[in-house]
Amino acid sequence: MKQKSIGAFFGGAGTKAGAKQEAVKDAKPAKPESKPKTKPEPADPASDQDNEADAASRPARKRLRRAVIEDDDDAALAVASKPAAAETAAPQQPTAAESELEDKDATMTDAPAATTKGAAAAPTAAAGTPAKSAAPAEEPKADGGGPGTASKPAAPIASIFQRPAVRKAAAAAAAGGSPAPGNAKKSGGGAGAAASPLKASASPAKAGKGAAPAGAATSTRDAAGGEEGKAAAAAASPASKKDKTKARAPKVEKAGEDGEEGEEAEGSEADPISDSDDDAGGDVNELLPEGAVGGGSGKKAKAKKAAGRIKSGKGAQMEGVGTGALAAASKYKEQDISAVISWKEGQPVPYSLLANTFEAIAGTTKRLEIVALLVSAFRAILATNPPDLLPAVYLCVNRVAPAHTGIELGIGEATLIKAMCEATGKNEASIKKSYEEHGDLGVVVVGARSTQRTMFAPPPLTIASVLKAFQNIAQTTGTKSGDQKRGMIVKLLVAAKGNEPGYIVRSLQAKLRIGLAEQSVLVALSHAVHLHRGGPAALKQPDVKLAEALEAGAQVVKQAYSECPSYDVLVPALLEHGSTDLLSRCHFMPGVPVKPMLAKATNGVGEVLEKFTDIEFTVEYKYDGERAQVHVLDGGKTVHIFSRNAENNTPKYPDIVSRIKGLLKPEVDSIVFDAEAVAYDPEKKKILPFQVLSTRARKDVAVDDIKVQVVLFAFDCLYLNGQSLLHKPLTERRAALYGSLTEKEGELLYASYKTSRDVEELESFLNESVEAGTEGLIVKTLGDTYEPSKRSSHWLKLKKDYMEGVGDTFDVVPVGAFFGKGKRTGVFGAYLLAVYDPDTETYQTISKLGTGFSEEQLSQLAEAMRPHTIPQPRHYYTWDESLVPDVWFDAAVVWEVKAADLSISPRHKAALGLVDPTKGISIRFPRLIRVRDDKSPEDATSAAQVADMFRNQAVIRQQKAQDNQAGDEGEDE
Amino acid sequence: MFEARITQGAVLKKLVEALKELVTEGNFDVSSTGLQLQAMDSSHVCLVSLALREDGFEHFRCDRNMAMGIHFQNLSKILKCAGNEDTITLKAEDNADQLTLMFESSNQDRISDFDLKLMSIESEHLGIPDQEYSAEIKMPSSEYQRIVRDLTSIGDTVLISATKEGIKFSTSGDVGTANVTLRHNTTPEKPEEQTIIDLKEPVALTFALRYLNNFAKATPLAPVVKLSLTKDLPIVVEYQIGELGAVKFYLAPKIDDEDQMGEDEAQS
Repeated sequence: MKQKSIGAFFGGAGTKAGAKQEAVKDAKPAKPESKPKTKPEPADPASDQDNEADAASRPARKRLRRAVIEDDDDAALAVASKPAAAETAAPQQPTAAESELEDKDATMTDAPAATTKGAAAAPTAAAGTPAKSAAPAEEPKADGGGPGTASKPAAPIASIFQRPAVRKAAAAAAAGGSPAPGNAKKSGGGAGAAASPLKASASPAKAGKGAAPAGAATSTRDAAGGEEGKAAAAAASPASKKDKTKARAPKVEKAGEDGEEGEEAEGSEADPISDSDDDAGGDVNELLPEGAVGGGSGKKAKAKKAAGRIKSGKGAQMEGVGTGALAAASKYKEQDISAVISWKEGQPVPYSLLANTFEAIAGTTKRLEIVALLVSAFRAILATNPPDLLPAVYLCVNRVAPAHTGIELGIGEATLIKAMCEATGKNEASIKKSYEEHGDLGVVVVGARSTQRTMFAPPPLTIASVLKAFQNIAQTTGTKSGDQKRGMIVKLLVAAKGNEPGYIVRSLQAKLRIGLAEQSVLVALSHAVHLHRGGPAALKQPDVKLAEALEAGAQVVKQAYSECPSYDVLVPALLEHGSTDLLSRCHFMPGVPVKPMLAKATNGVGEVLEKFTDIEFTVEYKYDGERAQVHVLDGGKTVHIFSRNAENNTPKYPDIVSRIKGLLKPEVDSIVFDAEAVAYDPEKKKILPFQVLSTRARKDVAVDDIKVQVVLFAFDCLYLNGQSLLHKPLTERRAALYGSLTEKEGELLYASYKTSRDVEELESFLNESVEAGTEGLIVKTLGDTYEPSKRSSHWLKLKKDYMEGVGDTFDVVPVGAFFGKGKRTGVFGAYLLAVYDPDTETYQTISKLGTGFSEEQLSQLAEAMRPHTIPQPRHYYTWDESLVPDVWFDAAVVWEVKAADLSISPRHKAALGLVDPTKGISIRFPRLIRVRDDKSPEDATSAAQVADMFRNQAVIRQQKAQDNQAGDEGEDE
Repeated sequence: MFEARITQGAVLKKLVEALKELVTEGNFDVSSTGLQLQAMDSSHVCLVSLALREDGFEHFRCDRNMAMGIHFQNLSKILKCAGNEDTITLKAEDNADQLTLMFESSNQDRISDFDLKLMSIESEHLGIPDQEYSAEIKMPSSEYQRIVRDLTSIGDTVLISATKEGIKFSTSGDVGTANVTLRHNTTPEKPEEQTIIDLKEPVALTFALRYLNNFAKATPLAPVVKLSLTKDLPIVVEYQIGELGAVKFYLAPKIDDEDQMGEDEAQS
């Protein structure tokens, strides 16, 4: 390949040069010495001489790859192994061997250990690296690291046009990534980092099974409460978190025994605070109502309780998050954010910061690590240019505006492919071919660069400029908008360097898919802002204190976001005033919809009564329609209707909008109420099933054209006359609702309800509800608050389906299909269904669906699904090799299916790791009920829900078995 | 205050037609020496450099240097309203947010004026050095237009090689391959029909035909086009617009096919 270049390559010659440097160094183990020298880190020389294993292990890692922060776990691991390594290097190695590390991982583990003896480890470590950088060849980032791509030196770019001209211009043009040694280093680092997380995640996880718990125990004893011990224990637990529940439980117990006067206990104590992102959260709060934040007594008991819960399978993740807080706290202290800052203070933050962070995040599945990575990036932004934090947050959650504004990305593949052709100079055929090969346009675009040189390298992308461009793209409408959008995308792609275009393309598709859940972003946001506002003082606090503060802050931020889901409000408020009184600044307001409170599934009246033994509750009809959150302002002059996804549904229901004013009681100025919009037959005065409602037009509905009439069933009131009612109990909210609206036949009714504890009465009410054409009942505790966006245990749904086995239907995403045979030739004979796991952002197969279709339905479904066919499964699908469908589908539609029961399955991957470490859960005998147009694939039944249902089923079966046994015995007598 | 008057309005019309497909927007930089434009296409692959000399206009006045951000599609819409024989006057106040275009028909019986909203476009001035080229070829602009048009129907990229034999354009595509060779030829009496190859050293470069074909939209502006080639440098396609000035198109080369394939393999 030619080395001389005049123009900048699209690929960003700088980055590639960086990658090459990396590759060259990797290839020549003889040279590793030069690397630390070219990248002097003040800490290095000192720590080289330091005897501490922790410090000594670091230079070794530096040579392996340019460590940013993602490998802090390694550090912790190294610490864990420290005592052993220090006493005798030998015993440690067998341990590593025992834990069945692969060769290369073994090299890794050896390296830090060996470094304590001398520098001999360096070549070994370096030798290990190329293998690793080659390994993740499928990942988009690999192209940066792959030896093949490397090439043109950065300097010649400047040499052509820029040099004779203005030097400054040259620097500016190339700035973001390339010529300056510092920058080149950085991009090289990016490539290194790209390769590293895989390793990082691989090794501690593996070690976690065997070596780490042991190491943790040792070090806890040895270090006796020292910093290292804590860090080790804390780091070890998230590692093992991914492992069996079994492995987890004993370890916590051990930690509890070891005592440390509650360091671990402290960790588990933090649990109830930390778990809100977990569905099981509610339960725990109930379990540990008092003294959760309180003093020293009963810590052990709590630790045991935590262990107990883990055994029972619930709260699986909480333990990790709790100790995680401690680990996070100590991690943040080690973070050197100046290392990632390559731009001047006050200057717009380059997009490469985020791209590299995404890259690292994609390489790990550990939430703790993900948050730490994000915190590092956010802190870097805060330290230099705080206004860029808001756009950065938007880019991280892959949105451009609050959900209710309806401004969304989601650019089609065709447009993107065209734009990619234009930006890269490749022809469409080759792009498509590569797409078929990789199945991810992000990968394609990173690989497709560099067949065409550019005249002048465009200025590097900044976080703010990328978001601005995204917003413009999302908001472009009208004639020729397609061309305009494409032009804007081309501009972005041309300016993107290294791994940036991959993330830009994925973001544009609204499929970032790096395993970055919004909750993690919120936690990282709160932590970063806390550390930023607290300054160095915050970092000097003891771990426990810092962890507590971080946890509390995260809690507040999550709460604030659930009540006011708009980063435009949240981020500035948080930046300015911190989290202390955030809730008073960032609260529910009409016009900004909250995500609705959701109900958990149950298996029957018995379970309800059991769960709500001493709690007052009420039951309501569960109407079969579409959730509608109605926001009324100015006495009815302004009305907004939002869907369950906080989408603006106002244009869909002009009829409702027009009638609201007449239904308000005179003293009502503003109100937000929760309701279900249900199709209605005004002649027969009967409600109609959901399928009828779904035939209604979605956009630009004119009142005169409406064929399907709708009635609103109101059941909750969230806001009244300037006052948020979210924190008021249901009794009060209900009273407010009844006091502000007037019922009117065919327009607005209150949901039918009954308050009773009698089993028979409830059963008959359930039957009534089914006869009335609803889905069943919702059971609500009367004394609890409205919990936006939560599937809360204060609301339970009781569906008619429960009588047939499973408590609820499943919302699944068809991800593949099998060709039909015989009569079904020409259509799909069976579909492969998946559920969504928001934590890992993956779709996990749950069942094959092949029965219960009518012929007409079969061809309709085939017709509907064909456009979603994709050549390759998405990289975020999890399936089993033994069950590969003939065609794959993009995750685009949601089907509601009913199933007989749930079972552990080796061939399906739903809730993998949540119930069984290697097997997933499948549903048996699924039948399609309907296509859910109102749900997006991300709203499909979640893996955690599946796991919950499975456990519930097990419990119920056990009970039934016991009952039967008791019955049998009775008969015997 | 800026004011420029040009008798052959058609030139301006043709000019903007030639540019509008290539660049969506750019700054007209006006100064006392004339009007200049430098703009790149959205993918930064080609650059248009336009320089119109002050003395090429019938009347030219510019009190203060300024940059007028032009959206070329919009400017084209307005210029379409001008007759080919019209005299066109461009006018703008200092720091104005619009450019006034006045069209006068040749016999003064019809006068129309249009205001074009100006845009604010960030642009750094990119310095393009004067360059010694390995090969400079002058040929009839219609000949250039024909070659690139013909080749575009065959392939996506063209290899332009200048040797002692002449200048060869080759492409290949699904249909097959195509080669067009022009020889040094000074026989025609009119200079604009001659093909003059000034070769210092042989050179061969690959370019995307799409852009070269786009440049040919400037054919009506000048009878002769000059191509300048140097190894690993952009090609320059230059049209002299009479006494008024010149428009130069720069296009960065593609990476050679073999390299491209090798790279593809390496990447995949």
